[in-house]
Amino acid sequence: MSEPLLRVSNLKKFFKVRRGFPNPETVIVRALDGISFIVQRGQAFALVGESGCGKSTAGRTILRLLEPDEGSIEFDGQDVVNADAKQMRALRKRAQIIFQDPFSSLNPRMRVGNALAEPLLVHGLMSKKEANERVRDLLEEVGLPRDAGIRFPHEFSGGQRQRLGIARALTLNPELIIADEPVSALDVSIQSQILTLLRDLQQRLNLSFIFISHDLGVVRYFCQVMAVMYLGKIIEKGPVPKIFDEPLHPYTVMLRDASPVPDPTARKAFERIEGEVPSAVNPPSGCHFHPRCPHVMDVCRKVYPEWIDVDAQRSVACHLYTEGRGGLPVAEAG
Amino acid sequence: MTATSKIEPVLDVSNLTTSFRIGGEWYPAVRGISFSLQPNETLALVGESGCGKSMTALSVLGLVPKANGRVEADHIRFEGKDLSRLPDEEMRKIRGNGISMIFQEPMTSLNPVLPVGFQVVEALRYHQNLSRAGRERRALELLDLVKIPSAKSRFKEYPHQFSGGMRQRVMIAMALACRPKVILADEPTTALDVTIQAQILSLLNELKAETDMSMIFITHNLGVVAALADRVAVMYAGDIVEIAGVGDLFARPTHPYTEALLRSVPRSDRDTKTLYSIPGAVPPLTRMPKGCRFTARCELAVDICRKQNPPLDALAAGDAHSVRCWVRGNHDRAALKENADV
Repeated sequence: MSEPLLRVSNLKKFFKVRRGFPNPETVIVRALDGISFIVQRGQAFALVGESGCGKSTAGRTILRLLEPDEGSIEFDGQDVVNADAKQMRALRKRAQIIFQDPFSSLNPRMRVGNALAEPLLVHGLMSKKEANERVRDLLEEVGLPRDAGIRFPHEFSGGQRQRLGIARALTLNPELIIADEPVSALDVSIQSQILTLLRDLQQRLNLSFIFISHDLGVVRYFCQVMAVMYLGKIIEKGPVPKIFDEPLHPYTVMLRDASPVPDPTARKAFERIEGEVPSAVNPPSGCHFHPRCPHVMDVCRKVYPEWIDVDAQRSVACHLYTEGRGGLPVAEAG
Repeated sequence: MTATSKIEPVLDVSNLTTSFRIGGEWYPAVRGISFSLQPNETLALVGESGCGKSMTALSVLGLVPKANGRVEADHIRFEGKDLSRLPDEEMRKIRGNGISMIFQEPMTSLNPVLPVGFQVVEALRYHQNLSRAGRERRALELLDLVKIPSAKSRFKEYPHQFSGGMRQRVMIAMALACRPKVILADEPTTALDVTIQAQILSLLNELKAETDMSMIFITHNLGVVAALADRVAVMYAGDIVEIAGVGDLFARPTHPYTEALLRSVPRSDRDTKTLYSIPGAVPPLTRMPKGCRFTARCELAVDICRKQNPPLDALAAGDAHSVRCWVRGNHDRAALKENADV
């Protein structure tokens, strides 16, 4: 296999938060607690989890929009964590981000054409005239009128603004796009338009994606590989259809079962879904998931499980898969 | 069910139109919709933003701002009263009592400076003749009913000490306080994580089984509809375009919009090779086309669609499945065409 585009190893990001009244104390939130994964070229890699699991922090830390506290990030063989400002600028051309809310990520006082041309001029890649032409091509590429550049952000609808967000990410011909919940603020019909556009761009431009989402349906459609996160750690990773059909980790089972499916004949009682995500400030001892896990054992309360490679492609962090234990009961995985 | 054994609906809405004034002109956000809610039934109102689903609920409760909004209806009948003609004073006795509402944002719907127990008690104090101790007892019962762990010790806590899911449970407890006949739930799980959403949905299903309440559940999520509804009304640009039993609607989506919507949802339980995309967007309220409002985005549109809005008619005589479409619906098109020319 060729060299992966992105290799993240043991990445950590902690936040110090002062909280409490009237005597505030400093606590540490372990937003990313040692995550590792690989993204191949042309692949859409999903980071999945509920709010507070650290998936957005992961996206931002990889681009060094947040400085990592520990671990390494290699982009095309190049060290990102220790890159200096000049190297970083070169790297930023190759990796871009699309945000969830395209309205707050566009300058409301700037004509969108100028906003889109800005990175081209900042990086000194083109003359103003060339940049304008490139902007018109980009607008067309994302399904907007070529002359839409003279308008202001407020003149666009939610779906159109997300198209602008995508155009902005595409300006510099990146190889990797980090898409942070790019469709979760959109209506169903607009969501499918944007997903179709992203998939088309992925295939045409051979883009790689880190796709951050809580919507399993969207992930199953768009991504080839996924990692499930819980309280700052990845608990399972593997190829997409397999994780859905035979999830290994009990939390993945819970997430899948909780995701509503548009089919009333598949209506199920949600009785196995218990508890809430605990605070990342004070995560439970041992395996973070043990208070909600239907298969909890003594060891789960004490020791955080090791990574176990179940086969060539799949791995999981769960005591059910250590030697001598057979994994999840078959009835549940199916 | 034969016509004679038909049970009296709890809520019957006939020809409801809600309009807003924009730049001196009145535009209907909900136009002439009719539906009824049977006892212990969950009716889902589904549609995308701006289709009028929330406005329908606000209109029923008389909560549309009067300055720029106008609600007209033949009737909105609830317990023998016509809510559309009720004076404010009378309406206040129904709100939170006979009909109550659960809102989307549990963060903004709770008062941050009052303990949650107090907020649950409030509805009881206004509507029910109970002693202080009786009210608190009932409020505790309610918090237990919605499965707030150690409700007693959390009674005096403030909303910020509750998680999103727990706050939504408090909202549900408040809505249930006076044993309402009808609950209007406006996207109650949209702001929640999926595992919490699943818990709230199963709580609502349990409550429905244990009490005789009926529910209008407003959502844009077709998965949630499938998990919860008995009957579904699909709305588009202020019209109900299709209404049917939940099994029938998903097995036999008939309006082109319903069908397209179902094909646009990526599913977690099966592989989707290509996702269908409905072209375009919902037209703005001020620029609604003549005729069927879905025409511009519809693959099946014919001439008459651009001229006249089709009626919402049963697919077959006596069928509970009705569709508003010239092409797919069951209409005597020739006869209607003549009318159109007049």
